This record gives sequence, C-alpha cells and structure tokens, in this order.
Amino acid sequence: MLPDDYDQIDSTVRATLRDVLGLSEARAAELRAETPLFGAMPELDSMAVAGLLTEIEERLGILIEDDEVDGEMLETYGSLVRFAAAKAPR
Amino acid sequence: MLRFGPASGPVAVVTLPLFEEANRVRALAVAICRALARRGVGSLLPDVPGQGESLVPLEQCGIGDFSDGIADAIKLERADGRRCYGVSIRSGALLDTTAALDGRWQLAPQDGASVLRGLKRIKQAAARAGTVLGDRWYLDTDAPIEIAGNRIAPGLLTDLSRRIPWTAADGGFVRTVRLATDPMPADRRVPGAPLWRRAEPDSDPALATLLADDIADWITTCGG
Repeated sequence: MLPDDYDQIDSTVRATLRDVLGLSEARAAELRAETPLFGAMPELDSMAVAGLLTEIEERLGILIEDDEVDGEMLETYGSLVRFAAAKAPR
Repeated sequence: MLRFGPASGPVAVVTLPLFEEANRVRALAVAICRALARRGVGSLLPDVPGQGESLVPLEQCGIGDFSDGIADAIKLERADGRRCYGVSIRSGALLDTTAALDGRWQLAPQDGASVLRGLKRIKQAAARAGTVLGDRWYLDTDAPIEIAGNRIAPGLLTDLSRRIPWTAADGGFVRTVRLATDPMPADRRVPGAPLWRRAEPDSDPALATLLADDIADWITTCGG
C-alpha cells in the first residue's frame, strides 16, 4: 500500500472516531498509533463500537465480519488503522 | 404529533429513522422543521406506532404499522388540500413508501438490509463474550428480539430485510442528500457529522439550516 493511501485511511478513521464519539478536533488530532482505545476511552463502549465499525465500513467501502472484531483490533488507535488498511481495496 | 409553520401551503412530513436512531436525530429534525417555518414552509412530525409516546408496544408492530401511521397523517393533510412532501432521515426512507406524497426528499437513506446489519452488530455487541450470532439470528424464534432496549418482532426484521427506499424510478420527485463523508450516490453532499451514530443525542444548527434551505428550494422546484 502506498503511504498516501495509508494516510488517507488514517484520516478517515480519525474523522470517523471524532464524528461517532463526538470528540473535539483537538482530541481527534491527539490520537497516536499507541493511544489506547477500547477500555481506555470512556465514550467507546460496546454500543459505540458497533456504530463506529459500521461507519468505517461505509466510508471506506469495506466489509468487516463480526468474528474479526476483537480486543486486539480495538486495543490502540494504530491497531484499528492497521486493521482498516488491511481491509481497504488497493 | 408536532406541527410547525403555516397551516396552509405545502407541508413537509418528516419521517424519523427506526429505533434508536430516531432519538438521536429528533433534535436535528425539529431544528429543520423550525428553519422551514422561518422560510414559510409548514411541516409535521407524525407519531409512529410503537415509537416515541405511542401506547402500542413496539413488539406488536410491523413495518406496515409504521408506514400506515405516516400515510394516515398525510391523508389528513391532503384532505385539507395541502401538497405533501416527504422528508425522511436514514431508514425513515423505508417508511414513507406507501404514503400519497408529491415528492420525497431523503437524508442519507439506507436500505433495510443495511439497517438489519447494524442491528445485528448492536445485538452482537451486547452478547456474552464468545457468543457469535449466526446468519439466522432472528429467524428461528417467535419471541421478540431485544436490541439495545427495544423489543422487536422477528417478523418485522424479516420484512425489514426486503425494504428499499423509494427511488426516482418509482415515480414523482425524489432528491437524495448525503453527508460529504458518505460515498453512496447523492444529488447533493453537505458537510456535517452523522448525528445518528452519536450515543448522546446532539443537534447541529448549521446543518439543520442548510438542509431546510435545500428542502424549501426543492419544494419550490417541485411546484409546491
């Protein structure tokens, strides 16, 4: 995958987190690869995860199977972006 | 039922999405109605059986009951000689298909299969760890399925899987507006966040004004 494509997916995932969780621009901009998500971010409960994944699917045109969703994928911001990038059409 | 704006002239009949999303976009819908009133366009937010303040339990309702509720509200307006235009948000576009409308304006419409996929994911999120819902997750029971506090009849879900929004090919005026982040086909894309995904209901006055302007202009081009 080209770096440009990866940056594009990073910014899509970042904007989706901001929009779905209602994060401020500042908080969204602060997300780093190592920023912990599920279990650390109070807004991200299991209901919010459901909405987040569906919105990421729609924006990136990908399909996420429910059995692919686990704690590891949502552990950090970086792991979520990597998962989305692996799914995205190239 | 909430009513806004002038009691004559064209009326925009607003249909909210199904289930939880209705709560999340109600404030946006009301803001759109108020902005339409400022533009001199009347609007109506009908009650739907099984939702909001309705006394009918949701688990006794089918999609047909929802669409009948919308169609009945529109009949009354038409009896007063008003032209009626559907304004639907998200899965609301699945509910105004049997109503006698002069045109349909849709915000981010989705088909029933997509709604169902979202519901399954919410149900899965609430399931015990290790439990995976299969393809027949709602098909092998007659008991209501509880999804995020809503008890939904399995028959409603089966019916939902086949529903699609009204399109221009079905006749009449149809306009589809989507958010800039939504890649699906649209007549116009507007900047804004998908409030229907927010756990905490929120509104967006700028988006509401922009959408109301689009609706009012579109009603004019439809001859309303």
